[in-house]
Amino acid sequence: MNHMDTSLGNRLDQIRRYALYAGAAGLIVWLLASAILGMRVALGAYLIGFLYVLGLSLGALAILMLQHLTGGAWGRMIRRVLEASSRVLPLVTLLALPVLLGMRALYIWTQADVVAGDEVLASKGWYLNVPGFVVRTVVYFAVWLALVFLLNRWAREQERTPYSQQSNWLRSLSGPGLVLYGLTMTFAAFDWAMSLEPHWFSTIYGVLFLIGQANNAFAFAVGVTLLLAWWRGVSETLSRDTLADLGNLMLAFIMLWAYIAFSQFLIIWSGNLPEEIPWYLARLRGGWGVLALLLVIFHFAVPFALLLQAEVKRNPRTLAGLAALVLIVRAVDLVWTVAPSFSTHGHHDGIWVALLAPVAIAGLGGLWLWQFVQQLRSRSLLPYPEETAHSLDASAEVA
Amino acid sequence: MSQVDVPQAPHDPHHHPPVIAPGHTYASVTDKISTIVLTEPVSRGWIVGFAISFLLTMMLLYAITYLLVKGTGIWGINVPVAWGFAIINFVWWIGIGHAGTLISAILLLLHQEWRTSINRFAEAMTLFAVACAGLFPLIHMGRPWLFYWLLPYPNTMQLWPQFRSPLVWDVFAVSTYATVSLLFWYVGLIPDLATLRDRSHRRSGRLIYGALALGWRGSARHWFRYQTAYLLLAALATPLVVSVHTVVSFDFAISILPGWHTTIFPPYFVAGAIYSGFAMVLTLALPLRKFYGLEDFITMRHINNMAKIMLATGLIVAYGYLMELFIGFYSGSIFESAAMRNRLFGPYAPFFWALILCNVLTPQLLWSKRIRTNVLILFFISLVVNAGMWLERFVIVITSLHRDFLPSSWAMYYPTRWDWATYIGTIGLFLALLFLFIRLLPMISIFEMRELVTPHAKSNGMQAARSLDRGDDAHE
Repeated sequence: MNHMDTSLGNRLDQIRRYALYAGAAGLIVWLLASAILGMRVALGAYLIGFLYVLGLSLGALAILMLQHLTGGAWGRMIRRVLEASSRVLPLVTLLALPVLLGMRALYIWTQADVVAGDEVLASKGWYLNVPGFVVRTVVYFAVWLALVFLLNRWAREQERTPYSQQSNWLRSLSGPGLVLYGLTMTFAAFDWAMSLEPHWFSTIYGVLFLIGQANNAFAFAVGVTLLLAWWRGVSETLSRDTLADLGNLMLAFIMLWAYIAFSQFLIIWSGNLPEEIPWYLARLRGGWGVLALLLVIFHFAVPFALLLQAEVKRNPRTLAGLAALVLIVRAVDLVWTVAPSFSTHGHHDGIWVALLAPVAIAGLGGLWLWQFVQQLRSRSLLPYPEETAHSLDASAEVA
Repeated sequence: MSQVDVPQAPHDPHHHPPVIAPGHTYASVTDKISTIVLTEPVSRGWIVGFAISFLLTMMLLYAITYLLVKGTGIWGINVPVAWGFAIINFVWWIGIGHAGTLISAILLLLHQEWRTSINRFAEAMTLFAVACAGLFPLIHMGRPWLFYWLLPYPNTMQLWPQFRSPLVWDVFAVSTYATVSLLFWYVGLIPDLATLRDRSHRRSGRLIYGALALGWRGSARHWFRYQTAYLLLAALATPLVVSVHTVVSFDFAISILPGWHTTIFPPYFVAGAIYSGFAMVLTLALPLRKFYGLEDFITMRHINNMAKIMLATGLIVAYGYLMELFIGFYSGSIFESAAMRNRLFGPYAPFFWALILCNVLTPQLLWSKRIRTNVLILFFISLVVNAGMWLERFVIVITSLHRDFLPSSWAMYYPTRWDWATYIGTIGLFLALLFLFIRLLPMISIFEMRELVTPHAKSNGMQAARSLDRGDDAHE
């Protein structure tokens, strides 16, 4: 298991190369487009791409910790993929630099003259200020990088000596780690996305990002695992029960997302307050309304209806197809959430941000994938076999 | 249930304690649980406990009777605080019920076999809690005998419920919840009722349990259909764990009142419900386990797991408090931030800080495994959390209502003795029903415990499975 067979290795090398090409091409197109469309649009699209790849790494980190706490065969099956996703975080940290450097173009609350003329914004200065934003960003990444480092390091040591102390350490870190992740990512979502429209607020906004990230990273891990199994010619031997577990978890994330997203909508719609409703008004009119409808159908109705069926969950092909669908609709959701913010305050850039976003996602996603494959190749594809008994034993355990 | 193939677990030091103590056979499980109902004499503790809770129930009846005579003016409610104890208690009780449904439905579907020994009385707890909860909106209506006006039925009064009001959704949510919970509990009881019928020495017992067992003979066909029905009911009950308290949270969030109108409410109410529910399960399970010697069935594994769920849901609730406060101040809205300041430093601030102490700080002790497995401390923590969850609803209902947008309409709310009598009375009703339940019905599911005997006996190297007792030919 430690040495991948050469055909698979070649295939992965090929993907790594193509990912790098795609990433480079995407970034070049993005640079060219930004010369035409301007800094603000370019950074808006970049922000969407950044949040997308950040979610892939952080969501993987969160599910990894969840999995250390609950155990279960499903976790063992995708653990190495999750770990590889989380180890792309150093690259994602670098990718955060343009957001920090371009914050004056992105966030109107950084502009002193705007704030001075706006009583509400002026009253938010205690949180929405440039030094605070920078310090918080540094803290977020410090916490996440530390978690990624420790979890991967201990997992590696555990691999060498099963039944070691590391299993306990992994479990002990995962509880507080999840708390830290939940808090930091919530405030990161407020900082990076919610404050694009600094008048608007929603207490559940952070949860939407947490669930979205978990949803996306989980779908990615399932998709990659099934693809690898397919290439290695072992997809027929996958345990159908484990596949069903993976499908059920995917269903749970889908339902959770829909529940949270709908709750936020219903509460704001019924309140119909001037400080809240503009956010939805902007997102339900015209083309944005079409995106919203697409989200209802493809981020909820279709995967929900399909994943309720036992045969769909137990078939590696349909499950992989659904995982791919989730990866797409997560991007649509981010575009729908972020891009309309650029059409407020007298600007009309939202549509251009949305159009340029796929390019940014392809560019940053390509770079991310390139690193991911690199990381995936550096370790075995499945946790050490002797650990099986242990994780099966823990599978009867709930959080 | 599906036969779970338990692997030969390695005996490493981190091995989990069993879900059923080693050495048990089909016969010993059946004996141990059914004798509590059938042969054990009524203990003095039971009589004293039942007498106290019965007296409190009488107090409840008295308070309700007086309420019907005089009207809701005997309570502390008035404008602006028109929702006082009745709504606080409604939300508190309905939340407590949620753990029962989670344990019996969701954990069943997740193949968490440790749920088996606690699901029966957790479901009973759900039913009794929902009964207490349902009482409050009914008597709060002022004219409870007209409650059916809430239902959409054709009538000559041209009356139709306002379907945009979450209060109407509540009627459906809670009545569905009560119906499904009752069905689930009763269906789960049928095989055990048959066991009691077969083992009862009295004619009356045989008759009553026999009638309730609906002619259960335990044939293979019975079991096959039974398990299908039970799983379907579990699937039906699962969405209710989320939907009921979501609708309850809408009662508040759909309004525009600062402190009520906030988007985090649905998940935070659901987490709070499960939190308080598990606290109540522990409050009940720990003494029951001790007094009836059920340590073999409700093991440290159960207690540890329940404590973990309490910790996890408690953290989600704490996250909710943090988001409310942060966004309140971040919003830049003077009404939002005033509501939060009033919560933190207003006249009801002691309730808020007590709530933080009970619901956020105390449960942090549960990070330690030593505390999670210390029965006495855990019992104490569960009481603290029960109190904390009541305080949470008090803070939400009262502090938001008593000072809204117009300072000229601000006022204080003070509960009257009738408020307290009704609230404590429902605790009496709840406990009285529970006391009756543990005497009259098996508080642990006998047939599901028997299912645990075989695999666990094997994994402990015991030759226990062979001893089928006479009531058990039904089983396999």
